[in-house]
Amino acid sequence: MYNKKTYKIMIEVKSLAKGYNGTIVLNIPELKIEKGESFGLVGNNGAGKTTFFRLILDLIKANNGEIFSKEIDVKKTTDWKSYTGSYLDEGFLIDFLTPEEYFNFIASVNKLSKGDVDKFMDQFSDFFNDEIIGKNKYIRDLSRGNKQKVGIAASLMTEPEVLILDEPFASLDPTSQIRLKNLLKQLREEKNLTMLISSHDLNHVTEVCERIVVLDKGNIIHDIKTQEDTLKELESYFAV
Amino acid sequence: MFKWFLSHQWKELTRSNFWQKSLIINIIIGFLLLIMFSYLILLGLFIDEVLKELYPEGDIFAIFNRGLLYYLGTDLFVRFFLYSLPVINVESYLHLPIKKSKILSFILLKSTLNIFNVLPLLVFIPFALKIVLTDYSGELALWWMVLMIIIILNNSFVLHYLKRRFIDKPIYLGIFALLVVSTIILDKFQIFSLSEFSSSIFTFLAYNPIYIIIPLIILGAVYGINRSYLKSRLTLEDVNAKKQKKVDSLSRVKYLDSFGELGEMILLELKLVWRNKRSRSIIMMSPMFLLYGLLFYPNEDMGGLGFYIFVGIFMTGGIMFNYGQYMLSWESNYFDGIIANNIDFQKHFRAKYIMIISTVIISFILTIPYVYFGVNILMINAATFLFNLGFLSMLLMYFSSSSRKRMDMAKSSAFNYQGMGASNWIMILPFFLLPIFIWLPFNLLGVSEWGIATIGFIGILSLAFHKSLMKLVVKRFEEKKHLIAEGFRES
Repeated sequence: MYNKKTYKIMIEVKSLAKGYNGTIVLNIPELKIEKGESFGLVGNNGAGKTTFFRLILDLIKANNGEIFSKEIDVKKTTDWKSYTGSYLDEGFLIDFLTPEEYFNFIASVNKLSKGDVDKFMDQFSDFFNDEIIGKNKYIRDLSRGNKQKVGIAASLMTEPEVLILDEPFASLDPTSQIRLKNLLKQLREEKNLTMLISSHDLNHVTEVCERIVVLDKGNIIHDIKTQEDTLKELESYFAV
Repeated sequence: MFKWFLSHQWKELTRSNFWQKSLIINIIIGFLLLIMFSYLILLGLFIDEVLKELYPEGDIFAIFNRGLLYYLGTDLFVRFFLYSLPVINVESYLHLPIKKSKILSFILLKSTLNIFNVLPLLVFIPFALKIVLTDYSGELALWWMVLMIIIILNNSFVLHYLKRRFIDKPIYLGIFALLVVSTIILDKFQIFSLSEFSSSIFTFLAYNPIYIIIPLIILGAVYGINRSYLKSRLTLEDVNAKKQKKVDSLSRVKYLDSFGELGEMILLELKLVWRNKRSRSIIMMSPMFLLYGLLFYPNEDMGGLGFYIFVGIFMTGGIMFNYGQYMLSWESNYFDGIIANNIDFQKHFRAKYIMIISTVIISFILTIPYVYFGVNILMINAATFLFNLGFLSMLLMYFSSSSRKRMDMAKSSAFNYQGMGASNWIMILPFFLLPIFIWLPFNLLGVSEWGIATIGFIGILSLAFHKSLMKLVVKRFEEKKHLIAEGFRES
């Protein structure tokens, strides 16, 4: 098992670079994300947000540099998987399962019990809004927003210490967006969860995250603590 | 508009991941095709010599025509398995101001540009030029070629219709196979002679070209049926038919739960195969492999031992090959989830391995009745069974990490049969040939039985070391997973 000792720095990036066919799409010389930090990543299309998250999750290989999760290189072992919850896109969902079957499968590979699954589904019943559990539908037949809910819920099922969500608010209905924001704030306060969230929506991300990093063409160009006027500052930056 | 369609199709073809596999594989495929082409041309050029030998007296042209109905039947059967229906991504065009009739015409026209329509011409054209033109008359050769082109197109459209309608209902295929077998039997006992029938129609038509209008009308009718069937399915609703299917009974399977995580993974594999139309139809057709023995064993002239080894590998491993070569591609929809989640790859592959060996064991048990044709056949099948079970299963899993091509499993299958064509079979041809190469030197030394025993022994040996082999499989997978995921993310 992974080391139980507490770490101040959860994710650390060292001279990371990723390119395709000679074009650099991500270049982060240094970045540290502390435990309990809520880290918001904003940027236009193609800024490298998803690429960065995929690198943290070892879904793609970097051309240079390393990412450390609790001081261990994510490429080297898979220990980080046991405390990292993630949902990037529909490619994470096993689409021919029902949501219940999917949750049971995720529980099984994470060695959770049946009771844990039931408790979990109970906790999320508001968020699911009676559209997901007990509907006898395969995930592939759900609407995009409901698929997203399944994925986000599954990422939280294992009570992770690190949570990585790519565009979690996109395609959710307004009620669910508000519920998700409240849920994330609650997890941050009660469980000291480290969160990495990307979004196009400046409103949501400034509301949930204490630290905002702006990516542009693969480079970090702003790294700010969220304050009263952060939203205005970001808006003026993006209004070109 | 057609110009656009053609250029899109051309781009789709040339930009496909398929070609980016590796230069060597492309060269091998090209080389195999070249050999096949030249064999067919040679066959067309020299078939008259063969026919003269077999039927010293008789009209070569009429004798050649005897085989045509058989050719049409076999062609349908072979195409049903090997041929991928033309895919055109209609969704991207339906919302645009393009007439539906144009889209339909294009789909149907595209289907005629197919290798299965070209291959027979490689035999027919040399035959028409060398024999019919010189020994008979130019006019006859011309009309005969016209007739041949009509029947080839006819077969092509018939197949399209059948495949679109019945891909999910193998029972009809069974009926068709029964029909073919019974005609062959009737022919053999000279109750009804299909070959005479075939010869008389085609000879008559070629000499009386005015009647070629009849097959032409049939062709028109088959085209029309195809067109109206496609038309009825060309609405967006049908293309991404979100039929609210009831959840199947697999969701209630609790038995496998008692095997814990591994059981859960096997259950996932079962659901994967069963709940996706594409994988289900592949698996449902697989039992046909078991009938291969019936084609070859009764006829003593066919083959010899080397060929029986091939048949054995094919019968006991047919389902395995079908499942194994798509193992990872079938997961392409959620592959990112597989590698990002806390999934134990050892167990993930163990589940797949259990699926594979189950199919091999079941296939072997079902082929035991072939002992009727001789104990040596049982021995060969047992040896090839062990070889499949221990060795080829591992090899297949090892090479599964080479898959890069996404398969969209959830897409409605009405217009989508990607990745089910002959090229996939060419890729795994070496697997079939391997045991024959092992056996060949023993055969040359005159100890053929030892060769067969060696095949079985290699199987047992690999079975004994299956844990270490599995580690190699998983190691390769872990090395390649980023590349696989990248390939799957691109469509």
